[in-house]
Amino acid sequence: MEIKHVKNELLFKTNSWTFIAILIGLIIFLPISEVFIQLFNPSESWPHLKKTVFSTYLINTIVLTIGTGLLSTLIGVFCAWVIACCEFPLKKFFEWALILPLAIPTYVSAYAYFDILELSNPILIWVRENINLEAMQSLNSFFVYFFTILVLSSVLYPYIYLLARASFLKQGNQLIEAGLSLGHNINEIFWKIALPMARPAVFAGLSLVIMETLNDYGAVKHFGIPTFTSGIFRTWLGMGDMSGALKLAAYLMLLILILLLIEKKARSRARYHENSGSNKPFKKIILSRKKSIVTIALCSIPFLFGFLIPVFRLSLWAFISQDVIRNISLLSLVKNSLFLSVAVSLLTVVLALLLVFSAKYFQSKLTSFTNRFAILGYSVPGAVIAMGILLLSAQINKIYVDIILTGSLLILIFAFITRFFAVAWQPIDSGMEKNCKNINDASRSLGIPAIFSLIKVNIPLIKNTLITASILVFIDSMKELPLTLILRPFNFNTLSTATFDLSSQAQIVESSIPALCIIMIVAIPLISLNLKGKNKLQ
Amino acid sequence: MMLSLKNISKKYDDTTILEDISFTCEKGDIVGLIGSSGSGKTTLLRIISGLETPDSGTIKLNNEMVNDKLLCKSPEKRDCSLVFQDFALFPNMTISDNIFFGKGSIKNNELIQELIKFCDLENLLDRYPHEISGGEQQRVALVRALSINPSLLLLDEPLSHLDNDLKQNIRNELIKIFEKVKTTTLFVSHDIEDAMTMANKVVVLKDGLVEQKGSPSDIYSRPLNRYVAKLFGKTNIVAASHAPKSYHRFFDEFLNEDAVSIRPHQIELVTSKSLKYKTAIDGKIISKKFYGSFQEIIVKSEELSLAIHLEPERKIKIGDKIKFCMDL
Repeated sequence: MEIKHVKNELLFKTNSWTFIAILIGLIIFLPISEVFIQLFNPSESWPHLKKTVFSTYLINTIVLTIGTGLLSTLIGVFCAWVIACCEFPLKKFFEWALILPLAIPTYVSAYAYFDILELSNPILIWVRENINLEAMQSLNSFFVYFFTILVLSSVLYPYIYLLARASFLKQGNQLIEAGLSLGHNINEIFWKIALPMARPAVFAGLSLVIMETLNDYGAVKHFGIPTFTSGIFRTWLGMGDMSGALKLAAYLMLLILILLLIEKKARSRARYHENSGSNKPFKKIILSRKKSIVTIALCSIPFLFGFLIPVFRLSLWAFISQDVIRNISLLSLVKNSLFLSVAVSLLTVVLALLLVFSAKYFQSKLTSFTNRFAILGYSVPGAVIAMGILLLSAQINKIYVDIILTGSLLILIFAFITRFFAVAWQPIDSGMEKNCKNINDASRSLGIPAIFSLIKVNIPLIKNTLITASILVFIDSMKELPLTLILRPFNFNTLSTATFDLSSQAQIVESSIPALCIIMIVAIPLISLNLKGKNKLQ
Repeated sequence: MMLSLKNISKKYDDTTILEDISFTCEKGDIVGLIGSSGSGKTTLLRIISGLETPDSGTIKLNNEMVNDKLLCKSPEKRDCSLVFQDFALFPNMTISDNIFFGKGSIKNNELIQELIKFCDLENLLDRYPHEISGGEQQRVALVRALSINPSLLLLDEPLSHLDNDLKQNIRNELIKIFEKVKTTTLFVSHDIEDAMTMANKVVVLKDGLVEQKGSPSDIYSRPLNRYVAKLFGKTNIVAASHAPKSYHRFFDEFLNEDAVSIRPHQIELVTSKSLKYKTAIDGKIISKKFYGSFQEIIVKSEELSLAIHLEPERKIKIGDKIKFCMDL
């Protein structure tokens, strides 16, 4: 920013609204910045960690991320294309059924497939007996990666499916028709026109998949793949080494920063292709009988593996372990989970509304700038944010000894807000940009105080967006595990921590009950969002 | 003085939007800010209303400083009101709620009721903005802006999106309303007809610079340069030596000498019976276009190529040799 702009900002655009918004934005960003600073802080145990586990964490994390990203893209784009552009029996069903795996947290999926590795046993035994032990071991580690990637992708692909589908639908058929009239067949058109145009959307979905993969703790722990996130847990909770865990978290942040930069570059180059289509709805390609059967079969695979089989297995286990319900006081778990998620979603939406409104209404560049920092939390794994919060509350405790923040519900809610702020911010930001821009200028020109404008004009105009945003935050909060695991107050358990605790005590069958509860509570708003035609992409 | 701008400048990144804009409006003036798209006129309007901040310069509104080096009064606190190009009516409120939403509008109830009647909005008060026509929305936006009884009314392209038929009607309505409320008004338009018919003062903007200011008729007949001359309608720019009798001239960079602007209707074809026959210039018609109420011919003489407007009935054809003189 040039000096005159800074002057304009400070002199003319800073008022109580923007000041508060900037302050809140920075506070939300604080935990992340705490971790980032650790990159430059010395740590005693770091040289040792670097020598022993760092490269393993790095390689495992990268392999998992790339594998899950590729597989999810493959599934997501295929499903999006056939649902958006083809006509075949059962299409209406798959349209929403393919979203359902989003209701299943990665760790729950992992528990549902807890014994999936056994599938590879016959092959491994054969290799051991016919080749040698070494070959079996390397084949075994291949299978571990393979199945973990399979399990993660089966519940993460909907992110890409949703965004790519919306993009295909938006393209309209003018360009497709142009391609057909130029003598290309539909396959060539997909590769040469439709897919390149959908690239920004696919990248956006892919980045969500990658963030979720990096965030995962339960699944990688279960399958025994040491990644950065599980390394943070091991170093902090296992060995009590805070500085080492912080250092790991800082390097994970660095990795994410690199990914974000790559994504930004890939997207900005692709932006030219966006939105050039007409708004006419896509003329669907009617599939022949044979092709319909193949398509239905292919669409069934992600739905079966991502939703039906896990839910079926969990239900079965839940049925045989009914009596456990009394031991785990299910009701209080549901109550805690609902309370936490509802509180977080309401607070996050209110704060996001305040920040977006302050930036847009007063056209404050400085507020927009700090908003950008506040939304970084969504790219940062829960474990990293948790470390930042621990450090932050330790620092506060040093100054104000009386306040014990660590392990309080307040700090847990704050951590959730940091992590999911972007989930609420993005739809509200684009909703306000679309619906309220000139209207806000009009109210200013009519001399109306900002608070009236907010309550009487902005909120009614983006009511639906606000509801969508709060549902999205609610869904994410319900599924969240690593943050809650590290920061939960003593004796405070949610459905997700109970699922994790039970399964890590080798009570996988019993853990099905809280896991099923999560799925059921999440699936309802998920379906309702899809019915309204609203989803994460907006 | 109602509004006074001094040396207003604005840049976005490296692009200059406005440079050293200065002009004034007296109380009761209706000022048209004219320029093609990209000339910076809407930005200027937003700066005056306080929605944008200028990089430098001062603005005085109703004898009160609203912009200077250390001051930029927020739009809420300025004694002016802006009517937006797309009207920006609140879609969630009825017409009546829209009109009475302005701060302190209740105090002006009498004026507002009068305006509602005058603008024929009585039957629309319970409707929502999407339920009324474009012309009606325009009137609602205008009444809403006037509801806070501003000292200065700003209008952004008030007629740009209307089709030609409606445009005439709304223009007449606007003129009537302006006459009634007598509020000082500043409007932005790219349409020269708006300026000619509605404004008593015109400021011509080009690439962020003021090219000329004055009354519409003055600018029409005495443009200061080629751009302004052409903006105000079809014209022929010829070297002043060809029109020795013309008293208004300007230096034209393209011809690199003094030039005059001769409108197509100012050129007359002369017949052998005419007294001017001897001094007339020889020419040949090289093209002809029929516009309905007139026809336009391009005549080429030894040194000039001129557009001339003739009555539609006149029988002429391409290739005809004619004589003409410039009636100045």
